[in-house]
Amino acid sequence: MAVNLAIEVKGLRKTFVSGWLRKRKKDALRDVNLSVPQGVFWGLLGPNGAGKTTLLSILSNLLIPEEGEVRVLGKDLRKNAMEICNRINVSSGHANFLWSLNVRENLEYYAMLYGLPGKKRQQRVDDLLDLFDLREFARVRFDELSTGTKQKLSLAKSLVNDPALLLLDEPTVGLDPDVARRIREAIQRLHRDKGTTILMTTHNMKEAESLCEQIAFIKDGRIKALGKPQDLKRELRLGDTIFISFSGSLSSRSLQELQGIYGLQTSDSSCRILVDDHHQRLPQILDFFIGEKIFIHDLRIQESDLEDVFIAFTR
Amino acid sequence: MKMSLLRLQDEMTKTRAFVFKNWIMTKRNVFTLFEILFWPLVAFLSVGLLTEFAALQPEMKAFILIGVIAMSAVQVCQLDVSYALLYDVWSKAVKHGFAAPVGIRHLLFGSLIVGIIRGGTVFVILMVASYLLFGFDFTLPGALPMGLFVLGLFLSAAMVGVFVCILVLVFGNRAEVAAWSLVSLMLLLCGVYYPVSVLPAWVRVLAEIIPLTYFLEYFRQFYGFQPIFSHVLVKGYVMVIAYLVIEVFLMKAALLRAKRTGLLLKLSE
Repeated sequence: MAVNLAIEVKGLRKTFVSGWLRKRKKDALRDVNLSVPQGVFWGLLGPNGAGKTTLLSILSNLLIPEEGEVRVLGKDLRKNAMEICNRINVSSGHANFLWSLNVRENLEYYAMLYGLPGKKRQQRVDDLLDLFDLREFARVRFDELSTGTKQKLSLAKSLVNDPALLLLDEPTVGLDPDVARRIREAIQRLHRDKGTTILMTTHNMKEAESLCEQIAFIKDGRIKALGKPQDLKRELRLGDTIFISFSGSLSSRSLQELQGIYGLQTSDSSCRILVDDHHQRLPQILDFFIGEKIFIHDLRIQESDLEDVFIAFTR
Repeated sequence: MKMSLLRLQDEMTKTRAFVFKNWIMTKRNVFTLFEILFWPLVAFLSVGLLTEFAALQPEMKAFILIGVIAMSAVQVCQLDVSYALLYDVWSKAVKHGFAAPVGIRHLLFGSLIVGIIRGGTVFVILMVASYLLFGFDFTLPGALPMGLFVLGLFLSAAMVGVFVCILVLVFGNRAEVAAWSLVSLMLLLCGVYYPVSVLPAWVRVLAEIIPLTYFLEYFRQFYGFQPIFSHVLVKGYVMVIAYLVIEVFLMKAALLRAKRTGLLLKLSE
């Protein structure tokens, strides 16, 4: 059965040219291909200047690429820009809105831009104020809000049209951990309850790991890897590390012959074993130690996380 | 039928968004109040008092007061059209506006409505002040000529405002200076304080391609000044409407260019 794609990007290229007399070119995206199924939470990760925001900006019709095909929600972006803009929305970190409008007015303004009529608009704005705990700030001007509240407003604004596709550009950047956690919860709830397709960029790997079902790594304008966080770890052979302190004589060669062992470092009384997946390999390692009559004093597991994957891809 | 009604409602809501934005920004910012009351009154009073000091004939006084009142109304009205984009530029919120499914027509009509309210307010205040302070009756030509004149002024203002938006979309926020300087240039060229006949021939060519020249000529004829050009009202309207249509296409092109070059995103940084 064909999968309905929320985003389909083929051969996308974007080059920025600067300077009047001596023109300088910078390739922001080079032959990017990406297919995001509907209803999935995708993470777009990569170092600064990798092309994440450029890709999001193209998808939200704020940038026009030189080459490539972009289909959003099944439609060609070039031919159906207005229709697509009606069904998607975007929120970015370091949000900026009209400084003199208060929270409610900003939401009303954007709801009007998306064509929401009178009562429906009021209801939508009220719902969003409640959803993001913005009720108490409803009459506070944007330039008087804290960074966290501005960010909540940005997210609330991105939902005024109940989008089928939501593009989030570093939604928790610059926020304190508590506010960031609440923003993450709100995003997760939205995805879970409404099934909204989300494409999010972030530099927070824990955030990506906890929210995203699929990850795309982008570097130098190219998608370097795609997949679930676990698959990416496997692909990179990052694995997990098991630290064991023991007493007895350990045969390194025998231990290394076990299945799924990527590497082994031993000393007189401890070893560091790199395995593909500690859930699968720990029982056989313990069996090995018991079989060899080696007494284990201490055992510690360190799972590789998305940060390791990020570092591996960006080096 | 239902579809077209829904479409009309959609168009009106999106247009209203720009009315809403400009109106609230106007209400909440002191500088916009200065634009309506302070600067127009200062210009009007200083020019009006000069006409008194120079002991000008009533028709000469009318010539100059028509110019200064028209100019003030055009300036304030065009600022609102420019502000439709400039408020977003100053707020660094341009990308949010253009990520929404709105067209240039919504921006133009919505901001023009507020511009007409603000420019109209300036016009009425100065009209009353000119009667009370200098004994000049602006209503002498009658309702229809005055209506046609004022409409011409507001369309001219829209033309200038859209031109400012185009410049900002092409050159970035450094072009915002055009919002205040373009009208001053028109002041020089369109015969606001003097007839265009006093201009050097090559400058007059420039005056001839600006619709405001014709609208001023049209209204002044009711105060005894024979127009230098023929069919001034028709020429003024044909020109201003043609310019507006061209500008809408140019603004679309400028917007596409800004999306290609990345300027639209830079305006949000």
